[in-house]
Amino acid sequence: MPTVQLSKVSVIYGSVVAVDEVDLRIEDGEYVTILGPSGCGKTTLIRAIAGILVPTRGEVFIGEKNMKGVPIEERDIGYVFQNIALFPNMTVTNNVGYGPRVHEKSKEAQVEIAHKYLELVKLLEKMEMFPSELCGGEQQKVSLARALATGAKLLLLDEPLSALDARVRVDLRYELRRLVKRLGLTTVHVTHDQEEAMSVSDRIVVMRAGGIVETGTPAQLYTRPLDIFTANFVGETNLFEGWVTHREEGKSAIELRDGSIIDVATCECAEGDAVVVSVRPEFVFPFTEGMRTRITQTIYMGNYWRIVGMAASEDTVEFDVPVAEGNLYHEGQEVYLMVNRKAAVVYQRPREGIAEAVKLE
Amino acid sequence: MARLERVLEFISRRSIRKGWLALVILFFLSFVIIPTIFVLTYAFTNWDAINSVVLSDPVKMTMITNAIINSFEIAGLVTLIDFMAGLPMAWIMVRKKFRGKALVDTLIDMPLVVPTAALGFSAALFWGIAPGDIVNPLGLGVVSSPLLLLILLHIVFSYPYMVRSLSAILEQIDQNYETAGRTLGASPLTAARTITLPLFRAGLVTGIILCLARSLSETGGTVIALATLSGSKGFNTGPTLIDGWKAIAQTTDPNYNAALAFVSILLIIIALVLMVLIRVVVKRVHLPMGKVWPRPEKLLSRGFFPKLKDSSTMVFLAVMVLLPSFFIFTCVFVFNPTSSGNWGGFGSSIIYSFTVAGVVTLVDLALGVPLALYIARGRSKRLPEVIDTMVNIPLIVPTAALGYSLSLFWVGGNAVNSDVGMLLVILAHIAFTYPLVVRNVTGAVEEVDPAFEETARTLGAKPIQAFRRVLLPMIKSSILAGAIMAFTRSLGETGATRAVVSNANTAPNFIVTLITKAPKDFYSAALACIILIAISYVLMLGLRYFTRRGKGAN
Repeated sequence: MPTVQLSKVSVIYGSVVAVDEVDLRIEDGEYVTILGPSGCGKTTLIRAIAGILVPTRGEVFIGEKNMKGVPIEERDIGYVFQNIALFPNMTVTNNVGYGPRVHEKSKEAQVEIAHKYLELVKLLEKMEMFPSELCGGEQQKVSLARALATGAKLLLLDEPLSALDARVRVDLRYELRRLVKRLGLTTVHVTHDQEEAMSVSDRIVVMRAGGIVETGTPAQLYTRPLDIFTANFVGETNLFEGWVTHREEGKSAIELRDGSIIDVATCECAEGDAVVVSVRPEFVFPFTEGMRTRITQTIYMGNYWRIVGMAASEDTVEFDVPVAEGNLYHEGQEVYLMVNRKAAVVYQRPREGIAEAVKLE
Repeated sequence: MARLERVLEFISRRSIRKGWLALVILFFLSFVIIPTIFVLTYAFTNWDAINSVVLSDPVKMTMITNAIINSFEIAGLVTLIDFMAGLPMAWIMVRKKFRGKALVDTLIDMPLVVPTAALGFSAALFWGIAPGDIVNPLGLGVVSSPLLLLILLHIVFSYPYMVRSLSAILEQIDQNYETAGRTLGASPLTAARTITLPLFRAGLVTGIILCLARSLSETGGTVIALATLSGSKGFNTGPTLIDGWKAIAQTTDPNYNAALAFVSILLIIIALVLMVLIRVVVKRVHLPMGKVWPRPEKLLSRGFFPKLKDSSTMVFLAVMVLLPSFFIFTCVFVFNPTSSGNWGGFGSSIIYSFTVAGVVTLVDLALGVPLALYIARGRSKRLPEVIDTMVNIPLIVPTAALGYSLSLFWVGGNAVNSDVGMLLVILAHIAFTYPLVVRNVTGAVEEVDPAFEETARTLGAKPIQAFRRVLLPMIKSSILAGAIMAFTRSLGETGATRAVVSNANTAPNFIVTLITKAPKDFYSAALACIILIAISYVLMLGLRYFTRRGKGAN
């Protein structure tokens, strides 16, 4: 059963460092998502695991075996490509049967295995068609079946859903997790879509500029991200700049630029430190006192209203109100806002500035 | 400004645009297509002449049969060898990175632009057993069979076409297919053979047709190679037969016109039928590629064998293509200089050739680009498709047959004075170079998303402005590439020229005459070849410069 271990893996193209000394361990049967903005090196990393490219430095272990010098075809992996890459000249059955075919299975065994995996993705009725006759979601399902049909226990998914329509994408991600868990595979899934990462993974690895920012379960990364970059990239958040004026167990106070105070439950920083407070929009509430804020925009989201405002502290604030209360708010209105102190996370104010610290490239 | 506005208004009118288009299509039909295949009508109007001069003359019939069998035998074998040696080369050029790749790329193109007359002389001296007076001791001198010599020669200039067509397709095939195959457990060789190779069909058709057509057409180099090989008397290919008989028909015996027409008709019909067959067959036939042999193929995928394959491909390029083309340069040191060299004559022949090539290229551009636009962007479906198919005809018809057909169309196959002769040569060269420009530009226009022009139109540009400001800059490098191809083809052509006017004063013809007509002057011929190669080389560097720059801009 395969684990994956990367030790100090670097991939360098000329003067560009695509992946910089990455260490990562993925346990057997774990579903790990590598999440990051485009250009962060996540695809390079998964390609290095697959052996499609050879790391400049560092080592890749699959199932505790060093993969140095082991070609792609002997790594026993399933790989699903972003651009799907079904062989256009073969039928669906022959595509899925390709793995068994190059493993010297008999003609009957090829067809039998192909049908078994097509059944698994519920596409048995399309088996005689050519890839160009299928829609995008079906194509990617066939491609998944093809990757599984080799019997590999390590599945590598390289942005498998990003070429698909929004609706199909959502359906397919649950399908993906269901299948993988049922077959007990170790899975590495690369994506730039944080929602997708949240909904499929056991664990998420956040990458930025060739390095790992942090790893954690979806809940950890959403509720208590260790890095301000993660707070901003995974889910939406409000960032308030201020100073720690009072610090005690369970209740600390942060003073914002206009003198207003935010109470937070936990604060790792010392009194007097310059900090940034991150609060998700759903934990900001209108109240009779608190941050004075002028509303600049109201957006109807279907099941709630998103209200955008500018606080007197010159921080932009976003918060949500139920549909029924939408008519209580309008542009130009002044409101007072409170935050849920347990949901607020405090970071040292980054030296390079907030904008730089959360920038996507 | 107001006047410009009015001019734009005027030429953008629907009726003017339609009229211009009709003119272009009319030109295409009456100056390119009809003259090219006009000789076919000879079979209906002058069947009696054919019957009495050719069909009832067993000597001529044997000559014709042998020549045509030779032509197709050579073309077939050459294409087969080109394919087998060209496929690994295409792989190297597209998939591999190595130092000196740009140089290899340039060298492969080299034989495309050098006049085949020069190549023919060079390759024949390299391979062949020459008659006593022109033995080059540096040459191999191993080939005594004219058939084998011509195969070796035709490989030199058709190989680049095969490599180019196969590379073009390989570049289009997503490398992820192969990678996907390998993640599924296929070794590199298995993946390439079972996945990429079956996707090659389109490129294969183009490559095969180009090589066949080029080999079937070739006249100048073939005539020279045969003249430089001892013991090749009486050996003919279709084009050399036309070449020889044309000279007789023009000077001593006009009866040979019927024989010429008959050979031309045969060549044209067989070539066209063959091309159609290839299109159908290559598309239909599924090679039995299903079986895989994982273990032996894995063994062949690694270590020694790929290196052997790549190095033998490179050796093939060096020994079969490059050495024979450059061998001519050694002649300067080996041959005894002759004092009687007619350099004034060579100079004027070069001027003649350049004038013809220049005029031909200008006409091709002026009337080829509009036709290409119509094929790629035409609103109706049927007519552009028909024209698109017809454009290929002059590319497929052997140029010697094309030349004879054209002279039959314009002057009834009679001898003409030198002014009319030049005009005829120009018309003949337009017929087979025009498709090159149209093909190149059509391909480029089809690549460009119409949305660019549509955007320009929504911003208020007239069609002509949208073309000039938006489309033209994007396809400029392809237009230039097409123009330079047309220019070099015209510069290097022998067969069509001699079939129109057998003593036309072009540079390749000058060299052919030096070698085939007494008093033979091999030293001057070699020098003339070297000069022609040098000029062609400069032209090709220009081509690469422009196309490279075009690519950089995209």
